[in-house]
This record gives sequence, C-alpha cells and structure tokens, in this order.
Amino acid sequence: MRRSSGVFDTSYLQDMMVFRTKHHRIGLVGLTAAFLMLPLFCGQFWLTFISTAAVTVIALQGLNILSGYCGQISIGHTAFMAVGAYTTAILAGRFSVPFWLCLPVSGLSAGMVGILFGLPSLRVKGYYLALTTIAAQFIIIYLIKNPFPEITGGAIALNVPEVTLGGFVFESEAHFYYLILVLTLLMTFGSKSIMRSHVGRGFIAIRDNDIAAEAMGINPYRYKLKAFFIGCFYAGVSGSVWAAYARVISPDDFTLTNSIWQMGMLIVGGLGSTLGPFFGAIFINLLNEICVVSGPLITSWIPQMGAQLSAAMVEMTFGITIVLFLVYEPRGIAHRWEILKESYRLWPFSY
Amino acid sequence: MINFIQLLTIGLSVGCIYGLIALGFVLIYKSSQIFNFAQGEMVMISAFLAWSILVQLGAPLWLGAILVFIIVGTAGYGLERFPLRKMIGQPILATIMVTMGIAVFLRGLSILLWANNIGIKFPPIVTEKTITIFGIPFSNILVGSLLIVLLLVVLLSLFFNYSRTGLYMRAAAENHQLAQSMGIRVTRAIAQSWAIAAIVSAVGGFLLGYLRGIDSGLSQIGLVAMAAALVGGLESFKGAVLGGVIIGVAETFTGFYIGHGLKEVIPFILMVFVLIYKPYGLFGLKRIERV
Repeated sequence: MRRSSGVFDTSYLQDMMVFRTKHHRIGLVGLTAAFLMLPLFCGQFWLTFISTAAVTVIALQGLNILSGYCGQISIGHTAFMAVGAYTTAILAGRFSVPFWLCLPVSGLSAGMVGILFGLPSLRVKGYYLALTTIAAQFIIIYLIKNPFPEITGGAIALNVPEVTLGGFVFESEAHFYYLILVLTLLMTFGSKSIMRSHVGRGFIAIRDNDIAAEAMGINPYRYKLKAFFIGCFYAGVSGSVWAAYARVISPDDFTLTNSIWQMGMLIVGGLGSTLGPFFGAIFINLLNEICVVSGPLITSWIPQMGAQLSAAMVEMTFGITIVLFLVYEPRGIAHRWEILKESYRLWPFSY
Repeated sequence: MINFIQLLTIGLSVGCIYGLIALGFVLIYKSSQIFNFAQGEMVMISAFLAWSILVQLGAPLWLGAILVFIIVGTAGYGLERFPLRKMIGQPILATIMVTMGIAVFLRGLSILLWANNIGIKFPPIVTEKTITIFGIPFSNILVGSLLIVLLLVVLLSLFFNYSRTGLYMRAAAENHQLAQSMGIRVTRAIAQSWAIAAIVSAVGGFLLGYLRGIDSGLSQIGLVAMAAALVGGLESFKGAVLGGVIIGVAETFTGFYIGHGLKEVIPFILMVFVLIYKPYGLFGLKRIERV
C-alpha cells in the first residue's frame, strides 16, 4: 500500500494493520455510522437497493477469491448460491432449524458442491474449466428442478419461513438491511483476511503461474480446491441470506444469465481487489435501475419502441458496459479509485 | 426397432446441426484462440433476421439467404475490428467476458426488435412428407437438413484444405507471429474466420428455426453446441461434427427414454465426463506444460 510521505511503520503490528492511518480510521467510523443511520433518512426503495446489492457483494467476494485471486474462472456462481438458498429453505422450512445455524450450514454445503465441481480444475484450465462451471450451473439447477420435487419444490417457488434470531423476528426492510449489512462487513473482512494469509498468497501465485507456483512448493490441486471451497462458501452464505430476505425462491432466480451478470459486475468493479465487488454491484445495479426507470419514459415519447424497451435496454447496456470496460479499463473501477486516491494524496503535484 | 432407428436418425440430424454450430466455435477458436460464447445468440439473431427478411419483407428464398449471409457476415467481420482485436494477448477471462458481453447485447437486441413476434415460423419451403428408405419412414425435412449439413461440412473442409484463404486462416491459427512474418495478414484472417463462423451459424439458425420454430430458446442451442465442440476437442473440425452427433443422439435418446428434464442437461453431463477422463476432448490438441 502506498502512503503519503512521512508515514512510517515502527513495528510489525503496524505493518500488518489494514486500517493504518488516521484517515482510514476516521473513514471507517464515519462510513459505518453513515450506513447504520441510513434507514432513518432514506426510504424503502434505497434500503431494498442497498440490501440487494449487498447480498450480491457477498457472492461477489467469493467469486473474487475464486476467479480474481486464484484465477479459476467460474461462470456458474449463482448455482452455488442456489445450493445455499435451497439448503436454508429446506432446513428452515422442513426441520425448523434456526437461521444462525442455517447460514453456516448453507455455506458449507455450497462449498462441498463447489469442491465437487472444482475437481475438473485439477486437469483442465482456461476455457475448459469455464465450460465445466457452466455445466455445473445447468446440472445443479436440473437437480433442484427435477429428481426430488417433493423436497426442493421442483420448478415452482419454495417458501422460506421468516427469520428469527433469539426471539427477534426480522420482518421490516430495515431489519434485513442491518442483518445484511453486518454480514456483508463480516464476509468482506473475512475475504480480506484470507487474502492476507498464506492461503491467499498461494492463490495469487497459482493465478499468476500455476507451474511456477507448484515449483515453489504450493500444491496447486489442494489450493485450487480450497479456492473453490471458499468461493462457493461465500456463494452459499449469500444464497442463504437471499432466501431469508426474499422469503420465496425458485430455480429461475439462479440462471446462467445471473451468473454472467455476477461475473460482469466483478469485471466492472475490478478483479482481485476487495473494493471491486462493492463498486461493481453498485454500478451495475444503478445502471439497471436507470434503464428500468428510463425505458417507460422513452416509450412514452416514442411509442414505436414498444413496451419491451426497458428489458432490452437493461441487457444491451450491460453488454456494452462489459465490453467497454474490458477494452478500456480491464482493471475496473477499483483501479480508477486507486488512481484517484493517489492523485488526491499528491495534489497539487502530478507525481 | 424401427422406433430405435428413427430416433437415431432424428438424433443424427439434430446432432449434425449442433455439429455445424460447433464448427463455428472451432473455426474461431482455431484462428484467434477466442472461445465465442455469443455463437448461440448469433444463431438466434440470424434466424430472426432471416424471418424478418423472408416473411415481413416477403423476399424470395434465394434473395433472403444471400441478404442474411451478407448482413451476418459483415457483422462478424466487423466484430473483429471492435472489440476483438483489442483482446489479442489479453487473459482468457477477458476474452470470455467480451464474447459474453456481445451475447448479452445480442439478446437485448433480439428483445428490442422481435419480442412481440412469438411462435413465429419460417414459411414452408417443401411440403413435409415421409420417405421410406429400407422400410424405415423418415421425414424429408430431416433428411434434407442432414444433407445440407453434410454438404457444408464437406465444402468447409475443402475450403480449409485447398483454397488460399483457407490455408491462410489455418496458418494464422497455428502461430500469429509466424504467419505474419510469412506475409499473411493475421487480423484479416481472423476477421474472415469470424465472418465464416457467422455465416455458418446463420445456416444453423435457419435449419434449426425451420425444424423447431424461431424463439429466444435458439440461443440455448449455442451452449449445447459448445458442449459438442468441447466433447470433440476444440481444435478439430471432424471432432466438432462428431461431438455434435454424439450429443444430438444422446439428447434424443434420453429425451425419449428417460425424460425431458434430463434431455436438457445430458450434453453438459457428457461434457463434464469427457473433460474429467479425456480433458482435451476426443480429437483436441493435448497441451503439455513443463516447468
């Protein structure tokens, strides 16, 4: 991490701190306070917006570890979300398991399934691996839809009982906002910590060159499977929270399109940075909302465009956004943010 | 028994169309090392386009086909200029996501232009009747599409083995730098392969649209064809066709004997098994990496 001149580390503890300077800490406290007070000021719409984005952020953090840091491309991430969501729905719905237990169990089950579909990564990489994850997407959704409809609800929606924690019932939008906010912070902290440990460094080594990593004593198989486990654990937790929040889930919430959207968000936000998932989820969701709102407006001016305009606009802007980002800023918004911070630090000089 | 053989022929003809679309994948992969995830959407868009030209504008079949091929081919040629030329030397994830972005864009375009046309079909070109060969009844449309696909496969392999352009494209596929130093314009070869792949997928789109109606579900076929290309091995034309046939037959049989739900995932299950036991497909190039 670059720091302004005059900031030195005088102990190892200082060197390892995540929030190193006074500005960082003020920013942390201020931002946390702002987010905690948010439900007092803003309406239902923005709370829903932030909650939805934050659930996605949890999944994206996992995808970031798997694809951004470890370089194992996964285009079936929402299928693992589905595993988590259905685990929660079934455990809570049929066996009335409390939510605090459902959450980690969902993560673990998604992680296990992730390991299973990560097995081909031992032998193939690149395109071949990406296609295996697409296969995972279809196979998992098929397994949810078809063989045991009496357990999984089949293609029809499955209801999830309301969430209680120690007698407290989560019912309003604000309750869920706080729950999701805390979870997102915890999971982000977790991913940051993993990436600072030797496991995370191993992931990065494998991404950069797996053969070189193997030569340096990192067992690529074990680390790839670890990455799959951690990434899918995150997806499972995210799915579990989503099930509790949405109260009703169906296989159509977890399609290949959603997986592509998640990957797109990660790319727009910035692969391989902790902030990337936040930027990506917020940027793409905002873009989405803008399209949804502006579509009917344009149709009212130009009726020839038809009622499907906003649906078409959502897809087209997303496609163009990804392509433009990949061509002009492959490192995503997070990289721009770093540049901005740097120039702020050095202002008024350019270097 | 007759049932079995009939299923086999249906599987074969569907599989040949998969193989045809898979050829498009292999074509692009061989020339630019890009795996085109937008192939299915290209199939869908060209089917819609053909419908608009044939039915809405009322063009005759030969003119419509030429128009569609020109439009689609030009679009494929243009795609190389932007954004794919920028993707040379980029990491695999970037190339995957660029083609995915194109796919999503094309899907949006199809919603914008053709969302209100539900349940559309091409006008019948030949009257459907059953021909009996060796005592087994076949639909003449299935046999016809089988013949078209086989003809195209033969034409393409002749093109790649004997024509100058085809040889240039193969050289560019082998090694960009080496081909460039031999005086071959690599970017043009890549653009040509995209144009040919687009035209091939347009033929696939027309045949598939004729067989099962035109809707957004056609883009799913692209994913199945992708599985076919992978089963056959990404570097081999005959592998693509064979993979398509294997997948088509497997799909038809599971659809008939087991159920419709499994029919949709059987290509992917097959693909995962092939990848685990024979990672680079049946005819793919095995890449050996050493430290």
